[in-house]
Amino acid sequence: MTDYAIDIQHVVKRYDEHVAVRDLSLQVPRGAVYGLLGPNGAGKTTTIRMILDIIEPDQGSISLFGQPHRTAGILDRVGYLPEERGLYKKMQVRRVLRFLAELKGVDQRTADARIEEWLERFQLKTAEKDWGDAKVDELSRGMQQKVQFIGTLLHDPELVILDEPFSGLDPINAQALKDTVVALRQKGKTVIFSTHVMDNAERICDSVCIIARGEKVLDGQVAAVKAEHGVRNVALALDGGSRGAVDAVLADRSLVSRADDQNQYFEIELAPGADAQELLRRVVAGGTTLRRFELIQPSLQQIFLDRVGATGVELGVSGHG
Amino acid sequence: MGKMLVVFKREYLERVRSKWFLVATFLGPVFMGLITVLPIVLAARTKSSSNLSNVVVLDATGTDLGQRVAHALQATTPGSPAPQVRVVMADKLSAEEDRATQQVVNREVQGFLVLNDSTLLGRSLTYAGRNATSLVDVESITAMVRQSLLDMRLEKEGIDPARVAMLTAVKLNATTEKITDKGREAGGGMSSFFFAYGIAFVLYFMIAIYGQNMMRGVMEEKTTRVAEVVISSAKPDALLAGKILGVGLVAITQVVIWIAAGIAMYRVRAPLLARFGVSAAAASGISIPAVSVSAGLALLAFFLLGFIFYASLFAAVGAMVSSQEDVQQAAMPVTLLLVSSIVFMQPVLINPASTMAKVMSWLPFSAPIIMPLRMALISVSWLEIGGTLAGVALGCLAAIWLSARIYRVGLLMYGKRPSLAELVKWIRMA
Repeated sequence: MTDYAIDIQHVVKRYDEHVAVRDLSLQVPRGAVYGLLGPNGAGKTTTIRMILDIIEPDQGSISLFGQPHRTAGILDRVGYLPEERGLYKKMQVRRVLRFLAELKGVDQRTADARIEEWLERFQLKTAEKDWGDAKVDELSRGMQQKVQFIGTLLHDPELVILDEPFSGLDPINAQALKDTVVALRQKGKTVIFSTHVMDNAERICDSVCIIARGEKVLDGQVAAVKAEHGVRNVALALDGGSRGAVDAVLADRSLVSRADDQNQYFEIELAPGADAQELLRRVVAGGTTLRRFELIQPSLQQIFLDRVGATGVELGVSGHG
Repeated sequence: MGKMLVVFKREYLERVRSKWFLVATFLGPVFMGLITVLPIVLAARTKSSSNLSNVVVLDATGTDLGQRVAHALQATTPGSPAPQVRVVMADKLSAEEDRATQQVVNREVQGFLVLNDSTLLGRSLTYAGRNATSLVDVESITAMVRQSLLDMRLEKEGIDPARVAMLTAVKLNATTEKITDKGREAGGGMSSFFFAYGIAFVLYFMIAIYGQNMMRGVMEEKTTRVAEVVISSAKPDALLAGKILGVGLVAITQVVIWIAAGIAMYRVRAPLLARFGVSAAAASGISIPAVSVSAGLALLAFFLLGFIFYASLFAAVGAMVSSQEDVQQAAMPVTLLLVSSIVFMQPVLINPASTMAKVMSWLPFSAPIIMPLRMALISVSWLEIGGTLAGVALGCLAAIWLSARIYRVGLLMYGKRPSLAELVKWIRMA
C-alpha cells in the first residue's frame, strides 16, 4: 500500500513528428488536489490519456493506487472529465447517466438512486421541472456541463481527473465545480486537474507539477514551490503623478532582471544579488511618486514564466494537449 | 465482457426506442401487405366493375362484323342486354360518333366502338369511352374484334364456325416444378425467381441501412466526444463489439417482426381480402414460399456474417472522419463493395450456376447476398454452403481485425481525413 494515487515513472510518448511526453515522472499523493500545469500542447492531455490507458506509453510505467494501471477494474475507481466534452445528444439525461455509471460497474439500482441525488444537488431536478427526463440536446450548455460532471462522479471515484475543467464553464458552474472539488478533498478523494490558467491552480491545488514541451519543469507542494523561488519579486504601483525616471531604473539589468509593465502597476523580478531597498531608493530619487512598494511571493504564473519562458509557450502550441 | 454488455444494451435499447425504428418496423408489413394485396384487389375491382356490353357499336364495314362483336361482348356479362349496333354509312360516321359521344357524356353508355374498312383489313379499330384507359378492357375488346373478324373470314372461305371454334381453342398453362436434392417440389419458375430476388434485395437493404446506421453512430460518438469518456471506462474493442452486436440485434428484431407479421397476415388473408371484395379463390393466389429450417438457418447465418463484415468496415469509416462532409467520400470503398453484389445480381439470377456466380459466392463481400440468391434459385450443395459461410466468417475476422485497429486510433484523431498512407500507419500503430 503506497501513499500515491498515481505514480508515473519515466514515461515517454512519441508521435511521428514530435515527442509529446519525454521521460516524465510524477507522484500524486492520495487525498491531494493536484494541478497539472502547462501551456497548451505541453503534454497534459497525453499524460492524462496514458494514465487512463486510452493511449499506451512507449516507455515507462504507470501505477494507480499502488497497482499497475492495467489491472482489471482499477479504472472503475477513476472518474474522468475530458477537455472536449460531449454526451449522446438524443438520449434522455437519466439514461445517459445510467449508462455512464454502468460502464464503471455500478449496478442499475445504485446508479438510479445516486442520479436522483445528484440531479437535485445540481438543480436539474426541482419542484417545477425535472430535466432528467429531457433529452440531452434540450438542455442549455450550462446544464449539459452539469450532467457531464455528474457522469464523472456517479460511481464515487477515489481519483477524479479533470482535464481543463474550467474551459467553457460559466461563472456559476465554475463556482459549483470549485465547491465540488473542495467537497471531494474533504471526503479524502484525490483530485487531479490540468489547466493552463495558473490563477485557478494557485487557489485550489495542494501540489502542482508544471510541464512544458513534454518535460517536467518542477513539482511539489504549492507553498514549497513558492518558497523555493524566494522573495525576488516586487510589486510597484505609481500614484498617477509623475512617472519620473522609473523606466530608466527598471531598464537597469544589474538591478531588475524582468519587469511586467502594466502602465500604473509593475511586477518586478529582482536581478540576482540585487537589493530591493536599493531599487526603492533609486525609484524615489528619480522623482517617481509611489502608492505601493511591496515584496511579494511570486505567483505560479511568474514561476512558470521564469522557468519555462515565453518560448515554451510558443513551441508548445502544436499538437493536442 | 461486462462493459461490452453495457454498450450492447445501450445500442440496442436506444435504437429500438427510436421513432425511426417504430415507424419502419410497423409500416413495413403494412407496405408489404399493400403491394401484395393491391394488385389482386385492383384486378378484382376491374373485372367486376366494367360492363363491356354497355357500349354502342358503330359498324361502317357493310358486313355483319358489328353483330358478331356485339354478340361476343354480350357473352362477357351474362344477363345484360346486347350492345346496340348501328350500321352507318362511311360518310355519316363522324355525325354518328358525335351522337355516341353525347350518349357517353350523358352516361347512357360507357363507350363506343368504331368498325370501318380499316378494321375489315385487319389494321385498326377505334374505341372511345370512359374506360378507355383501362388496358384490360381495351385488350378484351380488341381480342373480341380480332376473333370475330377471324371467324368471319374463315366462314367466307367455307369453314364451319363450330369447327373453327374447336380448332382454334388453344389455351396453354405452364405448370412448373423445381427439382432439388429432395426431388420434385411445387414452385419454381417465376415464383422462386421473385422469391430469390426479394431475399437478396432485403438482405442488401438491411446490410446497407444498418451498416450506415452503425457508421453514423460511431461518427456521433466521435464528433460529440462521448467516445473519450466511454473508452476511459471500456476498451475500444469492447465498445466496437458491443455496438456491432447491438445494432445487429436491432436488425434481427426488425426482420423477425416483419416475418411474423407476414405470416400472420398470410393466415388471415381470406377474411382480410374479403373486406376488399376479393373472392377466396383469388386470395389463394398468394403463397408463402416454403423455406426449410436448415435453409432458414443458413440464410440467417449469411445475414449475420454479412452484417458483421460490413458493420465493422462502416464503423472504421465512422471512426476515420470528423465531419459530415467527409463521410460519404470515405464510405465510398465500402459502399462500392456492397453495391457490387447488387450489380451482379441480374446475371446471377439469369444463370445461377455460372462460373461468375460461383466465384462471387466465395468472396466474403458478395457471398452474403449472392449465396442466398443462388440457394433460392437452384439447389446448392451443403458443402458449398458450409464452405462459403466459412469464407465469409474468415472475411469477418479480417474486417474486424482491420477495423478495430483503425477504430482505436481514429476515435481520438480529429481534423482532416487520413490518407491511405496514414491509414496504414494507424493500422500498424494500434
